[in-house]
Amino acid sequence: RFLGSDMATYHQEGQTQLPRADAVRSRLIDTFSLIEHLQGLSQAVPRHTIRELLDPSRQKKLMWEDQQQLVRFSIKPQHTGQISQAQRLLSKLHVRCSQRPPLSLWARWVLECPLFTNFIIFLIFLNTIVLMVEIELLESTNTKLWPLKLTLEVAAWFILFIFILEIILMWLSSFSLFWKSAWNVFDFVVTMLSLLPEVVLLAGVTGQPVWLQFLRICRVLRSLKLFARFRQIRVIILALVRALKSMTFLLMLLLIFFYIFAVAGVYFFAEYTRSPHQDLEYHMFFSDLLNSLVTVFILFTLDHWYALLQDIWKVPEASRIFSSIYVILWLLLGSIIFRNIIVAMMVTNFQNIRKELNEEMAHREVQVKADMFKRQIIQRRKNVSPETLRSTHGKTDDRGAIQQKENLDLSEVSKVESIYEATEEDIITSASKPEMTLSKKKEYQSSSSVSSTSSSDASSSESRFSESVGHLDWETLVHENLPGLMEMDQDDRVWPRDSLLRYFELLEKLQYNLEERKKLQEFAVQALMNLEDK
Amino acid sequence: MRKDDEFRAFVKRVIMSCFFKIIMISAVGSNAFFTALWTSYDIRYRLFRLLEFSEIFFVSICTSELALKIYVDPTDYWKDGYNMLDVVIIIITFLPYAFRRFLGKQFTYLHVADGMQSLRILKLIRYSQGMRMMITAMRQTVYTVASVLLLLFLLMYIFGILGFCLFGSQDGGDYDNWGNLAVAFFTLFSLATVDGWTDLQKQLDNRDFALSRAFTIIFILLASFIFLNMFVGVMIRHTEDSIKKFERELMLERKMTLMEEKQVILQREQEEVSRLMHMQKNADCKSFSELVENFKKTLRHTDPMVLDDFGTSLPFIDIYFSTLDYQDMTIHKLQELYYEIVHVLGLMLEDLPQKKPQSLEKVDEK
Repeated sequence: RFLGSDMATYHQEGQTQLPRADAVRSRLIDTFSLIEHLQGLSQAVPRHTIRELLDPSRQKKLMWEDQQQLVRFSIKPQHTGQISQAQRLLSKLHVRCSQRPPLSLWARWVLECPLFTNFIIFLIFLNTIVLMVEIELLESTNTKLWPLKLTLEVAAWFILFIFILEIILMWLSSFSLFWKSAWNVFDFVVTMLSLLPEVVLLAGVTGQPVWLQFLRICRVLRSLKLFARFRQIRVIILALVRALKSMTFLLMLLLIFFYIFAVAGVYFFAEYTRSPHQDLEYHMFFSDLLNSLVTVFILFTLDHWYALLQDIWKVPEASRIFSSIYVILWLLLGSIIFRNIIVAMMVTNFQNIRKELNEEMAHREVQVKADMFKRQIIQRRKNVSPETLRSTHGKTDDRGAIQQKENLDLSEVSKVESIYEATEEDIITSASKPEMTLSKKKEYQSSSSVSSTSSSDASSSESRFSESVGHLDWETLVHENLPGLMEMDQDDRVWPRDSLLRYFELLEKLQYNLEERKKLQEFAVQALMNLEDK
Repeated sequence: MRKDDEFRAFVKRVIMSCFFKIIMISAVGSNAFFTALWTSYDIRYRLFRLLEFSEIFFVSICTSELALKIYVDPTDYWKDGYNMLDVVIIIITFLPYAFRRFLGKQFTYLHVADGMQSLRILKLIRYSQGMRMMITAMRQTVYTVASVLLLLFLLMYIFGILGFCLFGSQDGGDYDNWGNLAVAFFTLFSLATVDGWTDLQKQLDNRDFALSRAFTIIFILLASFIFLNMFVGVMIRHTEDSIKKFERELMLERKMTLMEEKQVILQREQEEVSRLMHMQKNADCKSFSELVENFKKTLRHTDPMVLDDFGTSLPFIDIYFSTLDYQDMTIHKLQELYYEIVHVLGLMLEDLPQKKPQSLEKVDEK
């Protein structure tokens, strides 16, 4: 058969190199790691089949080889995007084959259970309320309120224990991952900080009121744990942190300028500091480096700068020119220019963050559109393909009525057409193979039935599609929807290996065939021109 | 000058090396730290030797760096902005010595020269990539900043002259604040930054000037509200533009490198394949086609192959076939057109010899 020839003979026929055919061949080589395979190193091929895995003896051997080996059991890969730790754990071999799930999985389940998270949020609120009431009752010596005070104290201790328990649960689920998330570290720090004074008090090390105050303060800090719970607050804080991170160099430059002006200020105003003049309000403002830094900051916020300058002018030894140059330069540079640069950078950063969020939504919309387009195409195929087949048959009928001179060329064309048709049918059958063998046939049929039902009862979409076809030509339609389709999560990308090889081979040959058809068309045109000349 | 060239290359390598950079950074950093310490008289008194030593160390390193760099590249040295900064800082560093030596110890502006030593820390900027990028970004906003400042200056000039004429007369007027142009400028700047302006206004009010309130309020609206906030708007626009341009360049660069890498890999693959194919016999005496056939036999139908590729997915196949169908339809129409043309031409050919005798007959009849 025509299709039985292999790549080598085809290539030696001296065909011109087509970039598309080459691309298809590269894809084939890449997918099957053909080069490595032919050179004797087969690395990328899967090593074990499912049957081997289910065999108990082989399974034991596998488990001994590599404890952490991940085995993909599900045939249909879903692009979940992020694989969570729990899923990873569940896929491990020793977890799947053991009797009970490990403790970390249970801990994670508890942590993610909505009942538990709501309970924690409730406890945080309760903590704040307890604290408020306690502060109110702190000074009162009313003995009747003593049971109330006791309950408040007990409630505070109870809340603390629950928080510690939560941290222990998080440690159980995964110790190393706990420290990688900044929110968890923050939680840990706050809880430990509020635990410390209580422990100290209990141990009776010191009964000083300082520790009691510290205790109160740390209890308040527990309310900060709320920041990690609510998604909105997290988003805002993350946006702020990101905006600040991009401004690090700017802030460093600002610090450098602070340093320069502070040190220069100490020297410039040495006379002012040393002058014996009596009524100088800002006398000590430039006395040493720390004061100078604070003064520079005061000038940065534009507060009483003119009063400071006039004060400096009171001293005759300090040169007016240099002091005014210093102050005006610092005001222009620091307060006016730098502050506006900081504002501008924050504004652009927030705009970028909002744009990113919008892009996510737009991305989702594009996916929806691509999904619709996909259905339309499947539906269209079913409508158009019987028509084209009919038309090709009609073409063969027409050919009989043409003059003899054209016969040679046209018969070539017809042969190519029939070959191409055969190729196309072959590809269709080989493409339908993967569905059938993996019981995706049902899905395809269901999708086609879905599309037909959708076309029947959602006829507006089809009319819209035909309208869109009428408004836009096919190419622009495809180009518009192509990116969305390409990024879409595909459910049906599983092929049997030999069909895949065949598919690539056929695709390559299709390219060559199309090229040949084009050449034949050109021959036909040439013949036509010759006829016309006569 | 061959020996000179080799030596120059050597010196250039020394300058570009990591070790040299580390020396420079540590010298400048330590000197900045010690300059900060020097401000306190106490510490200056106690650690005098150490500070002197660090001072000498820094000056020597800076001068030698300058000399080496000029030696390596005399003409191109002056084109780099950071080198100019180095020269300026060296001049500033030598100023106190020059003053002390030539103008005596009691020169009034000595402490000014001492104060300017704090500028030495600016030498560190050239060694940090992020800072350099930011400075280049800020450099583009300099023109805008300068023009806005110039406009502000013009505005202040107009209002200054106005204020001087209105409020600055020697008797009865507010001489302290509006007496001469310099003081008037300061007053106006104080109004523009809205700091302590109520006190200045109170002074004008005490002297009972009619227009003073309107004057002050109009100026504050113009300078502080409009001008200084226009500043913010202009900077926002510039920052956005520069960030966008920067990101676009980054993306382009990344894409170019990716494309190049892809090309290289593809080329290698093609070469491998063609080599394998043209090699008739390898170690096992099999030709390429036989190898491929053997490979095909190893592929089992039940082995699934999972692909992440758009080219092997069903939507792609569907779209491709639909496109090919369209192509077919177009070609079919084209062919029908050809047949029409041929048919018509054939008819014309048949008609032609019949027409000739007809015309001849007509002529004959005539």
